[in-house]
Amino acid sequence: MAHIPDAILSTPVLVTGGLVSASLLAAALRRLDYDRVPQAAVLSAAFFVSSLINVPVGPSSVHLLLNGLMGLLLGWTAVPALLVALILQAAFFGFGGILVLGVNTMNMAVPALVCALLVAPWMRRLPAGRRFWGGFAAGSLGVLMTGLMVALALGLSADAFTPAAKVLAVIYLPLALVEGLITATIVGFIQRVAPELLAPVESAHA
Amino acid sequence: MRNLRRDRVRRLCRVSIALCAWALSGPALAHKLKVFASAVGDRIEGTAYFAGGNKASGAIVVILDADGHDLAHLRPATDGSFSYQALAPVEHRVIARTDDGHQAEWRITAAELRPAFGGTLAPNPSPSMSAAAPAITAGSPPEVASPPSPEPVGPETLSAIELAVAHQIRPLREQLAAAEDRARLHDILGGIGYILGLAGLTLWWRCRKTDARA
Repeated sequence: MAHIPDAILSTPVLVTGGLVSASLLAAALRRLDYDRVPQAAVLSAAFFVSSLINVPVGPSSVHLLLNGLMGLLLGWTAVPALLVALILQAAFFGFGGILVLGVNTMNMAVPALVCALLVAPWMRRLPAGRRFWGGFAAGSLGVLMTGLMVALALGLSADAFTPAAKVLAVIYLPLALVEGLITATIVGFIQRVAPELLAPVESAHA
Repeated sequence: MRNLRRDRVRRLCRVSIALCAWALSGPALAHKLKVFASAVGDRIEGTAYFAGGNKASGAIVVILDADGHDLAHLRPATDGSFSYQALAPVEHRVIARTDDGHQAEWRITAAELRPAFGGTLAPNPSPSMSAAAPAITAGSPPEVASPPSPEPVGPETLSAIELAVAHQIRPLREQLAAAEDRARLHDILGGIGYILGLAGLTLWWRCRKTDARA
């Protein structure tokens, strides 16, 4: 699952994850958009709690990730929001761990950034009534990319890549669909009640 | 046209709300993999489960000795339970893992297995009976040591008592281990409080900076 516990990954993977996350965090903090801090806090809290609602799938159990939505709405601010929520999940619930925090943050933040930098501009060009497709794309892409990165992290640490990849594909494909639908709903809802949230001026604070 | 769009959004909303409801109506679980094991006689019996209650029947349970030698690979039954015949009274590490990167570990001390292999909990019953206790799980030594019987209790009786006690307290220990990992309301509220506090701190910091500049 997206929270890889301690004592599974090999040291090079841990170090890479830590370095990537640290540099992403530094980049995110430099262009931190203070106007989005309240939104970031709300989404961070939602992400923090969503990991508690689990549905058993196959040999494991899944929960919503919401990282696509966070990338879409928060841009670079998603990185600190994800990191804070992951630290608190490790501290309060014992999901993941402290040593793997870097890898887990990377696995969540890179897809969020892809959604922020690729999906969000595309979505803003869509006519207002179709923007929920952007939400669908962001939700499912976030889950699929996170799944792929988890599989890579596990595969690079163990000698066998295929079992992990197979299980993750079984788990993440339905999750991607559900998450896409839910993100689409949220985006459709925001489009109706507060469309300005979906069309922020990214360059104003960059 | 606009109505059509609104209808579509509404339909999508309805579908997703139904999906959410379905997800919420299922068991609300934390998804940390846990494993519990205890020695019952010379067998190591245990369960693999996800914190919160769901059984992890798809997990793989690996039994290692203290030096990390692979002793057995087990597949838990549908209720998550597994059992392993210990061959020697040494420390065992029980590791459960799923292919998607969950892992949990439980340790069985050598002392827990010793009674079944002829030894008692302590090698010499009279002097060090209580001294050997700290390494052992709570429960068994006091029952064994406390009644000062006039004639010495035979080793068979002792191990029978130990087996019975282990049987009796096993469900209690299992429940205790499971209860420890359930996410509680105050954990959730505490986490949300931290997030809001951090956001407030960030905003305060920003206000201070703009004030200083002005």
